[in-house]
Amino acid sequence: MSAQEVVQDDLDLQRGAIAILGPDGIVTWADEAWAALKSQTDLPGVPIGKNLVEAYRKRDEPILQAVANAIVALFQGKATYFEIEHGARSEGRSYLTSAAALRGDRAGAVLIHRVVSGRLRATTPPSAEVRMQHSDVIERLTPRERQVLEVMAAGLDNRAIAAKLRIEYTTVRGHVRAVIEKLGARSRLEAVARAYRNGWVPKG
Amino acid sequence: MSTHGGAPDQAFPVPSHIALLHHGDAELRVAALEFMREAVDRPDEALLCFGEPGVGQRLLRDLELDVGRDLSADRRSGRILVGEANPDVDQQLENFVAPLEQLRVSGYALVRFIGIVAWNVRNFPPPEDFLWFESKMNEVVAGFPVVGLCPYDLGRVPARAIAYGALETHPFVMSDGVLRQNPQFIPPDRYLRERLLGLPWLESEEP
Repeated sequence: MSAQEVVQDDLDLQRGAIAILGPDGIVTWADEAWAALKSQTDLPGVPIGKNLVEAYRKRDEPILQAVANAIVALFQGKATYFEIEHGARSEGRSYLTSAAALRGDRAGAVLIHRVVSGRLRATTPPSAEVRMQHSDVIERLTPRERQVLEVMAAGLDNRAIAAKLRIEYTTVRGHVRAVIEKLGARSRLEAVARAYRNGWVPKG
Repeated sequence: MSTHGGAPDQAFPVPSHIALLHHGDAELRVAALEFMREAVDRPDEALLCFGEPGVGQRLLRDLELDVGRDLSADRRSGRILVGEANPDVDQQLENFVAPLEQLRVSGYALVRFIGIVAWNVRNFPPPEDFLWFESKMNEVVAGFPVVGLCPYDLGRVPARAIAYGALETHPFVMSDGVLRQNPQFIPPDRYLRERLLGLPWLESEEP
């Protein structure tokens, strides 16, 4: 099973438990993985697994921080849920739930559970034909709609767009809806993401 | 930034935008009622309840039962308002900003806002738009005397909602009755490029 295909609906993670999603899609309990890692490195002898859960319950911050930093440093310097999710999709590297998850109190356990139980699917790069179709898409926008798309991409909301372009709020709403529809997006942000990805708005 | 009374052992910064992490309705009820009750007891405060259609009204009914009195007069006077989520994120932003402006004009010293979070449901913006909304809220509340509480049910919303929404769009996180500054918060001027544009589910090249 690949990391992209992992489905582990039968996992029963307890609150505070920690698991690692490996490059082969296998989920390993942290204390087993930690033991394997320690045999290869000179990482500090910090508690993990059940001991870590206990330290966590007692809010032993120095220990938690040491563990979190060591793990995160070991894997990628800094790890967030975002990176875990991306990594599991694309690179197939080992990812441990992050210091961020640990700091997230009980959210950490939820994150971990969902990371390993979620269905991860691979993304495929667009074909040349698809890219060609996308270049046609932007041509459907009017000059004003392209202008609106640029300010949408800068993160402005409709009121701010109206002020910046000196047009009515209701007019902006109409333009935004037209942009979303013409770009074939389901949402405002999907339209913006598509515009960036295809180079329809300046990246700077 | 000033502070205002919250739970007995803490004060809420004003303005602030807080993610409330809770498990299930029982925990939500305790935290939400404690938060809202303060507004009922203080005539210089206003309350805005926000959520999917019907959710704000349910919160108010719970509040009425909790305080043991009818709050319809406060509804009529505009001291307590209900706002509804909308699948169109621009409309949802308007549904939030317009009542705040109304309450500011009325001169309330503090507005308590509670917005029940949903994820990928019919009457709510799509997840990526909702995240944009949550980040945008930080800019909005900066202009108002607001304490905003956004409850995220850890057992109901997916991990993505917690990771990208609760933990990255709120400067403060509250759980188990404790309010903390949130080191994972990404300011709104960075959130779009650093997070939203790279959301995994926006990466495919459909349609």
